[in-house]
Amino acid sequence: MSQSITLHDVDKFYGEVLGVNRVNLEIPPGLTSLVGPNGSGKSTLMHLLAGLLQPTRGEIRVLGVPPSEPDRLMPLLGYCTQYDSFPPGATGLSFLLTTLKLHGRSRANAEARAWQCLEQVGLTDAARRRIAGYSKGMRQRVKLAHALAHEPQVVILDEPLNGLDPMARAEMIELFTHLAAAGRHVLVSSHILHEVDQISDRVVMIHGGTVVAEGSIRAVRGELKAHPLQVLIRCDRPAVVAARCFELEHVVEAKIVEEGRGVLIRTRDQNGFYGSLNRLVLASGVTVETVAPADETVHAVYDYLIGEGEGTT
Amino acid sequence: MSTLWREWSRQAWALAQVEAGRRLRGRGAVAVLLLAGSALAIAFGRLLFLPQRMRADLAFTTSEFAESFHYFLILFVTFFGCAALFSNLFRGEVLNRSLHYTLLAPMRREVVVAGKYLGGLLAAVPAFAATTLGMMLLFYLVHGPGRAFGYLFSGPGLGAAAAYVAIVALASIGYGALFLLFGLLFRNPMVPAVMVLGWEYLVPLLPPVLKVFSVMHHLTALVPVPVPHGPFAILADPTPPWLAVPLLLLVSLGLLAVSAWHARRLEVSYATE
Repeated sequence: MSQSITLHDVDKFYGEVLGVNRVNLEIPPGLTSLVGPNGSGKSTLMHLLAGLLQPTRGEIRVLGVPPSEPDRLMPLLGYCTQYDSFPPGATGLSFLLTTLKLHGRSRANAEARAWQCLEQVGLTDAARRRIAGYSKGMRQRVKLAHALAHEPQVVILDEPLNGLDPMARAEMIELFTHLAAAGRHVLVSSHILHEVDQISDRVVMIHGGTVVAEGSIRAVRGELKAHPLQVLIRCDRPAVVAARCFELEHVVEAKIVEEGRGVLIRTRDQNGFYGSLNRLVLASGVTVETVAPADETVHAVYDYLIGEGEGTT
Repeated sequence: MSTLWREWSRQAWALAQVEAGRRLRGRGAVAVLLLAGSALAIAFGRLLFLPQRMRADLAFTTSEFAESFHYFLILFVTFFGCAALFSNLFRGEVLNRSLHYTLLAPMRREVVVAGKYLGGLLAAVPAFAATTLGMMLLFYLVHGPGRAFGYLFSGPGLGAAAAYVAIVALASIGYGALFLLFGLLFRNPMVPAVMVLGWEYLVPLLPPVLKVFSVMHHLTALVPVPVPHGPFAILADPTPPWLAVPLLLLVSLGLLAVSAWHARRLEVSYATE
């Protein structure tokens, strides 16, 4: 069995409207974030992976299984969609029991697993209440439980943190990290970029139905040569560091920040800069507190690639 | 191969049980309850208000029930009941945006269609069979409990009741398969359903070559008491039972195959609804 999720030249058109265009991806096990503005094609891509949409062109394999074979795919895949809807009249418990029975579990096994999942998402007390009466956060959690109930190898989560309170968000992020650490594929879409930074360091950026970048944040950032890397240095004499850095050929900007307690450097040569910085610090006798890249974040990379004001926070 | 069939049967049965439960609780159940209730209410009204002079004639009740069965129980109660139950098997889930949960189950789409259809039948057949038996009992109670039970349990009534229940089951099988397909093809399956109903009412007036495209025509052979269709009806020999039943089952199977073909291409895109 293949260990990757692969998309090869995948197109999806809704009539004449583009959903996704020429997507080529190979997603390894671990946590991968799918990032893009509203309408960029994130949900389309996730639907395609789950077989809820069929590609107009191209080939998709999830651990070697085509999505057109749900009998083989669905035991491997759990999908938490963005739809805030449920079968009418379902309670949290009955919703999970139905799912598990359709997955071939015995009544006793399904019940034990359903309670386990409900506990995992903190819904034990509300298990026998109708989902229609749940709060937004509870509905989100029961959807997560549904996606995880049959212990799939691939978990696709479309905006899974929507509606969750900060505590629940932290718990869910921990759960995703745990699943990824266990060798599963966890594909998460989110609008909230600082959360994406927290969740994973591997991203797929999509815009206008096209994948504009993929890989680790650092690698993607490293490829953006047009945008000088920003490095924040916290030290006791930022003015000295700024003046000395400015003498370096690859430094394009040095400015004092954080109310005179730091200096922000913009450089075109990351490796060259770090090498020079060591010498510079030793020569000037400055006490450096921290040195950290300031724009090796999803937010920064997103802004560089897709631009601001696209509806993502 | 047999393992695969066993697995598909297990999955279809699991879905059928879920689906039957949903059908018996959802909006479809209200429609079925109203339709069944209307049939029983009419029969009860007849029991209360039938003039005394008509209460002696058992043959009159037999022919009156046969007509009520044909025009009301089959072409109204069962027909619209099946429309409500089966057309919503997929369409209902699209409207309440929960179809993706079904499609995320680990089963082939063909098995999903089979499971849903079976679930519809599990809800429809007992409901309409019980309505038929209840209506029949109320019709014959007009002659007093002694005569009614004598006719139904010691006379020809038992065989007639069995035939009527079988016809209801076959009608559910035929109309169910048709309405399941309508639910997959049309945004408003009631429009083609009403057209089919019009066709079923017109069938007695149509030439034999067109009569074969009717569920009711094939069921006529099984009816224990023939029903007159008026002076303008074009008479045609009913399809013999040995042919009518397999033919109806075969056509239903064909309709299910078309449904399965559509289900394989089904996509979840609620935004367009």
